Amino acid sequence: MSDFSEELIRSKTEDDKEESCVFSGTGMSFPWLQKHIGTVETGGKKEKDFAQTTSACLGFIQEALLKHQWQQAADYMHSYFQILEDSDSHKRQAAPEIIWKLGSEILFYHPKSSVETFNTFADRMKNIGVMNYLKISLQHALYLLHHGMLEDANRNLSFHLRTFSLWADEDDYAYNTASQNMFDHSWKTSVNLRALIQTPGVWDPFVKSYVEMLEFYGDQDGAREVLTNYAYDEKFPSNPNAHIYLYNFLKREKAPREKLISVLKILYQIVPSHKLMLEFHRLLRKSEKEDHHKLGLEVLFGVLDFAGCTKNITAWKYLAKYLRQTLMGNHLAWVQEEWKTRKNWWPSFHFSSFWAKSDWKEDKALACEKALVAGILLGKGCRYFRFISKQDDQVLRKKIKQIKKSVKKHSVVNPGL
Amino acid sequence: MDFPSSLRPTLFRTGPLGLSNVPDMSFMCSWRDTLTLPESLPKNSENGAPHLSTGLLWEPETPGPLPLLPPGPDPWDPGVTAQDLLFRGGFPFRRKPQAVLDVTEQLSRFLWDHGDIAFAPLGKLMLENFKLEGARSRSKKKTVVSVKRLLQDLGGHQPWGCPWAFLSFRQRRFSILGGPVLGKSVASLLGELLYEELATRWEQLLLDDAFTGGALAWVPGRTAQVGQLVYPAGGALDKLCFQEVSLTPGGDPQALGDPGHIQLQGPVRQVVTRTVQGESLLAVRSDYHCALWKVSKQGRPAPLQVLQVGKGATGISLSPHLPGELAVCSRSGAVCLWTPQDGLQQVYKDPETLVFCDPSPWRWADFTAHPRVLTVGDRTGVKMIDAQGPPGCGLLLFRGGAEASCQKGERVLLTQYLGECSPESLHPTLHLICTQFSLYLVDERLPLVPMLKWNHDLPSAPLWAQLLPPPRPGCPQPLLLGGQGGHLQLLHLTGEGASAPRLAGPPQSLPSSSDSLSAFPLLEPKSQWRLQERLKAPTIGLAATIPSSASEPVLSLFQLSVAGDVFYQRLHLQADPGPNSCASTASWTPQATACCSRWLKALLKVPPAPPVWAAPTFSHRRLLGRMEQREVEPKGPEALRAAMAEGRLLRQRDLGSLPSAEPPPTPEPGPEDELSTRLEAAWEGQLATWWERQQGRSSGPGRQPKRRKRRTQLSSTFSSLSGRLDLSDATSPPHSPDRASPEARPRPPVTPPSQESTQELWARDVPSERQQTLRDYMARLPLQGDTPQGVSLPLSQTSSIRATPSRPQTLPDGTAELPPRRKTLRGATVSSSQTSSIRATPSRQQAPVLSGSQPHRKKPRMGF
Repeated sequence: MSDFSEELIRSKTEDDKEESCVFSGTGMSFPWLQKHIGTVETGGKKEKDFAQTTSACLGFIQEALLKHQWQQAADYMHSYFQILEDSDSHKRQAAPEIIWKLGSEILFYHPKSSVETFNTFADRMKNIGVMNYLKISLQHALYLLHHGMLEDANRNLSFHLRTFSLWADEDDYAYNTASQNMFDHSWKTSVNLRALIQTPGVWDPFVKSYVEMLEFYGDQDGAREVLTNYAYDEKFPSNPNAHIYLYNFLKREKAPREKLISVLKILYQIVPSHKLMLEFHRLLRKSEKEDHHKLGLEVLFGVLDFAGCTKNITAWKYLAKYLRQTLMGNHLAWVQEEWKTRKNWWPSFHFSSFWAKSDWKEDKALACEKALVAGILLGKGCRYFRFISKQDDQVLRKKIKQIKKSVKKHSVVNPGL
Repeated sequence: MDFPSSLRPTLFRTGPLGLSNVPDMSFMCSWRDTLTLPESLPKNSENGAPHLSTGLLWEPETPGPLPLLPPGPDPWDPGVTAQDLLFRGGFPFRRKPQAVLDVTEQLSRFLWDHGDIAFAPLGKLMLENFKLEGARSRSKKKTVVSVKRLLQDLGGHQPWGCPWAFLSFRQRRFSILGGPVLGKSVASLLGELLYEELATRWEQLLLDDAFTGGALAWVPGRTAQVGQLVYPAGGALDKLCFQEVSLTPGGDPQALGDPGHIQLQGPVRQVVTRTVQGESLLAVRSDYHCALWKVSKQGRPAPLQVLQVGKGATGISLSPHLPGELAVCSRSGAVCLWTPQDGLQQVYKDPETLVFCDPSPWRWADFTAHPRVLTVGDRTGVKMIDAQGPPGCGLLLFRGGAEASCQKGERVLLTQYLGECSPESLHPTLHLICTQFSLYLVDERLPLVPMLKWNHDLPSAPLWAQLLPPPRPGCPQPLLLGGQGGHLQLLHLTGEGASAPRLAGPPQSLPSSSDSLSAFPLLEPKSQWRLQERLKAPTIGLAATIPSSASEPVLSLFQLSVAGDVFYQRLHLQADPGPNSCASTASWTPQATACCSRWLKALLKVPPAPPVWAAPTFSHRRLLGRMEQREVEPKGPEALRAAMAEGRLLRQRDLGSLPSAEPPPTPEPGPEDELSTRLEAAWEGQLATWWERQQGRSSGPGRQPKRRKRRTQLSSTFSSLSGRLDLSDATSPPHSPDRASPEARPRPPVTPPSQESTQELWARDVPSERQQTLRDYMARLPLQGDTPQGVSLPLSQTSSIRATPSRPQTLPDGTAELPPRRKTLRGATVSSSQTSSIRATPSRQQAPVLSGSQPHRKKPRMGF
């Protein structure tokens, strides 16, 4: 008998799922399809009155939330609790989560809401449905943490410390952030934290805290291992922070330059625009290897390719200096190689007359560095260089003269052509 | 550039889309998002709770948007609805209603409306076996059958849907024998095509991606207070308008003067503007063409280039880095970089979709923080492509799958590069990706893992988005999200420097144009319905700007509807986000209601769109009557006498002099019927204009209308008598095609009637005629996608492209530049020759427009 009724329930929910999917022939689902169908009087069984009412109520709550009408939303929410009495078990089970999410949203923003109200609501919600107990507890703790109530949050969570590893697979920000504060001073939790950060994902705050903890206890090898895994495990997304953390750790450890370069090389491949790239360039410049010198030039060009870095005066300064250095070192081919892929767009991207005027107006030092680079790469006929070299500025007169001289000496453009 | 020093923790899962189609509720909670990461807590914990802008709110000035420009002169019809496409019958065993396309009804409508088209070819084939007149065939061969009696039995009317209609045995026999042959050929030929067409229309109704990106753009002017709106106008959306608008800090936006316009050769689908290095550029996408203009400081556009896209363009983007550089995508799956100097460069080509198989040919491309790297998107994902790298390489930026916890059936609808704002704003590496359920912010430096996900829950497809600069230094940036149904959502994004992007407060919804209904005076039901439909017209473009000079930031938001209406609303950033900040309800000002009334008055002056479909009239009496008329005519009096003598009923056809060319009373009112037009005008609230028109007519030269009126009255009184009178004169409006069509045409009198009508209709190229009529039929049915003309235009364009296959301008192959036709611009004088040359040239465009707006003429039917 019990088997039979279970069978019934299962088939019913499966049925529901199948029918609630609203697809076209392409496999795409359209949330607004039901609205279109609703305009046509089709046959078939209509939703129960109660179901219609509850879905309308949910709509009202969402609308009020989006209009920031917290009081109205609260009023509607008051009615929505009735869904907990729904005879449809599927809906009844899903209801507490919706109520918690919308309710916490309302209480978070409602002008008359207080921490006490939130606490009461959270405590009540925790007791509806076992599945929600943990989630709500953790989000509640997050709320308390953000209201500076560390003690309460701790008390709230302490019960669940044992069970939290069950939670490690749950992708929940509240859990993560809340737990971090709870655990980062507790050696006991290290095992669990370790398990968590070995799961593919982005665990920046935990990795940081965990490494801090390991370093605090003097476990340098453990910390390095954690960071290396976090950076190089292929199952993880290519998170630039993983490499940055590793690099910073190695730097703290005073690791050899070669090691640092190898870490930054990978960061360079992922994020060539990162501000550490200038540090990378410095390391490469100081290196003895010739291919590192070549890479040093590549890195500088790479940084300046990006829209967010065009006004980075340090990068331009480095490039101007390094170009001269490279050319003096008889490595014209390196420059030409880098320039080959950029010559058709760098002139209008960096060295247009618009930028000449605007850079000169905003930052004369930047304009001078760029003019030097432009002169070397494009020759003295280029608009940017011409504009800057024509400027008559008392302070920079000497500098501009120098630039003219270096351009004359180093320009990669064959004046005969 | 800085990378966020600590990212939000997330689990990284790989795999396909979620199997569950239950909406994911976990991204509905904004409060957890607005909280900063705990590592910044110690700093904040001194002063208790961290600073949260809970009261962040853009308050609308009015409860709904207001019209900015008067309505256009072209009538607009809402077009196809679900009711026109879906089957209305019941499925008693289904638990929930389902969408089933109703092909049978459309097919039967077609058969009734265009039976001549459907059956004539067969009839023509069988003509030699049937005899329409004369006595029984004397030949021994039994291959010719006389159907005279059969036609007589029909008696002029077909018993459509009437169960008590009299069916003679002849009729019954004929329909049993002929039915399978006649029905099958039509159904098999047409049914498939019709189903295909209906399915396309239905898909279009669910998601019309042609306007992705939006067809409205704001070009900033010389000062912050003045700018230009660029948008398409006209019934076919083929007139690109440039309307100067002034934004005064205190008052409503004002349209300055009349808009300048450029007449294009196709409907405008997307308008993009960008100011790069002080140069304002304007790119326009039509179905098969893309064009680029440079807008001068004075606001005058100068054409740069036109590109023809053979397979159809789906998206166009202007580079934020290099002036004049564009990315164009084609339905063929090709993405090209396009500069006026260097022409086209194909960057990517793959007819397949990126992540999994999806039939949609929609492609999209945008730029990234690296000027040589583009994003290429389709329904399944987004990829980053290096234009200089080897072909085929790239890195997936977004994958429709478990990585972004996508749900079943989720598809990418829009991708946009958000990195064009000022340096103190969000990271210039962020991309917005919208699906029908959620929006994602993805950083190109950390592919596949969204930095932010928000369940937007819009009730229509989000096809346009705009990131605005921060209204004040340090304020979160507003991100506008617009749905096709006019729904608007505003998100507050923050996260510069070393912090990750996040929501700075709960998102808010903005009023849509259907909220403006309350500002209009109450009308009689028909006009009210028309107004309502107009306000509900799908949105096709969105533009917003925050003039920087104003002391209090004001967001001006413009919305373009498919009916061509531009509405605006102004939003104020709530001054002090205090604890008691709550949305106050805006109310209508007298100026606002006056503005709406003026607009409404202008709208009601626009003639309503002609009915897209009218019930057909069934009669072959005309044909039969004429046929018999010649025989019977000389013996009219005799027939009467005979009838008298025999004591039988005098039938109409017995009286040869009183032929029966008058069709049976039609449900549509003829133009001669003054009473009904007057009633109709009164019903529409246009009695005054009707009266004026009437006055003007009667006071005009001649007393033609008066006489005509009398004649009309007569004709309706003695309908059987008036048939022979030629009522159709040249001035008769095209409302009564029945009266005008057969009789008005000169015809040789000696041809046998059956053959005559055959020749008249079918001696011409039958297949093409049939095609055209089918097309007309499809255009006329209430099945139209966006505009009444929208259907015929692409068709004409296709044919135009087909006609010139030798042109090397298709997108994948190469480019050819022809300057866009410049017709009228504000301030520029129009030379008449230019105008006329343009008027004369786009014949392929105008012809369908005309045919589209004219009610169609019913043709005489064959005898079957």
